[in-house]
Amino acid sequence: MTTGFVRASLRLLGVQAAWNYERMTGLGMGYAAEPLLEDLKSADPARHAEAQIRSAEYFNSHPYLAGLALGALVRAEYDLVPGPQIARLRTALTSPLGALGDQLFWAGLVPAVMAAGIVAVVYGAGIWALLAAVLGYNVCRVATGVWALRTGLAHGAKVGSAIGSSWLPAAAQRIGLLAGLLVGIALPLASVWLLQAEHAWELPVAAGTITVGLVAAWTLGPRTNAVRFGLTAIGLAALLAWGLP
Amino acid sequence: MMLGPAAAIGGLVAWGTVVGIDLVSFPQGLLSRPLIVGAGAGLLLGNLEDGLRVGLLLELFALDVLPVGAARYPDYGAGTVGAVLFSTAGPWPQTLGLATLFALGFAVLGGVSLQWLRELNGRALQRQMAGLAAGDAATVARLQYRGLLGDLFRSAMLAGIAVAAAQFLREWLPLGERQLIVTAVAIGAGVAAAATGALRGAGRGARLRWLAVGVGIGLTAAVLR
Repeated sequence: MTTGFVRASLRLLGVQAAWNYERMTGLGMGYAAEPLLEDLKSADPARHAEAQIRSAEYFNSHPYLAGLALGALVRAEYDLVPGPQIARLRTALTSPLGALGDQLFWAGLVPAVMAAGIVAVVYGAGIWALLAAVLGYNVCRVATGVWALRTGLAHGAKVGSAIGSSWLPAAAQRIGLLAGLLVGIALPLASVWLLQAEHAWELPVAAGTITVGLVAAWTLGPRTNAVRFGLTAIGLAALLAWGLP
Repeated sequence: MMLGPAAAIGGLVAWGTVVGIDLVSFPQGLLSRPLIVGAGAGLLLGNLEDGLRVGLLLELFALDVLPVGAARYPDYGAGTVGAVLFSTAGPWPQTLGLATLFALGFAVLGGVSLQWLRELNGRALQRQMAGLAAGDAATVARLQYRGLLGDLFRSAMLAGIAVAAAQFLREWLPLGERQLIVTAVAIGAGVAAAATGALRGAGRGARLRWLAVGVGIGLTAAVLR
């Protein structure tokens, strides 16, 4: 199982490689499950074939936490949990793991690390600070992946309660607060660093754009986003600059 | 900056490909964030300062994005690489705005190309249903590698087009004082995007208070610098 654990952990790094709308990360899960199911092949070939089919069915969650589900589902196969129950477990884990992972990583650790990177760049730390940020982030990411797979394998069908009593929910809460703080610090510093105005009119132009952007986000809601607003505002400014005498 | 050496251009395309794959397929290790992409591209061009500046501004736009599974989100990688090349055509206050416009356009294109890839992955899956229904591990592995290769191709094409477009357009870049307005608007739009993302993520709870404290600290630090 040790070799299988390492291979599965590595395969989980690419769990979204064959992402599609039919099974989402299901194929990636099936690919990662294969080395973990090896021992079942000799012990119970019929069960192994069924497990192999089930392992690549529809699944979606946060990619970093997919190991929790993978481990739990594989353990359930070894525990000879009935197939329909395993399918229900698979479905039940989708939303909580997705929400928890999004909160912890996409809305927490990623903005926190990037905001710290912005502050480091503003203060001249440059490339070394960014390298440290990427390295530190990936240590967290890999450690979480290994922990997730190990926890899933240890708890099987009872993984839900193991997740609830783990460090994940509290960490997601705390990292969110840290992200808020660091993004807050980064924003004014980044603005001043970028806008080294040579002319008096540049500051009001930038401030006006910020105001329009915030008002647009407030009034239009999801009908606008960063890219749409950026393309529109900068495109109009480029046209204006082109037409200026 | 020495512009045009084949090694630097090849390096930019390779870097754009690596960060493109990192976004979704492998290993999702933060390489695809614009600040990291910009720093890498700046290093390759021997102009880290411009790379960091372009990357930092685009990172502000990216802070508004939550790359959730099935949602359509922009791919900033190739566009950022091209934008760094684009921005080195002149003094940064005159090029940063147009470079940002360039990168945002490619970010949209990158997002659309991801949707195409996902649809192609779905079609490949449909063709292999017999193998999947039989629990054939080789079929699953084949589909997985196909998806990875598809993303490699997508990322390489996008990076190649972005670098070629930037190389072509930088020759025709209208430089001059009037471009300062474009840069000022781009900076304002980036700050607005990051602020919108931060406010949306903060909601009305404790995170909003921490954000407010952070803005206070950031403003003080900006004044003291």
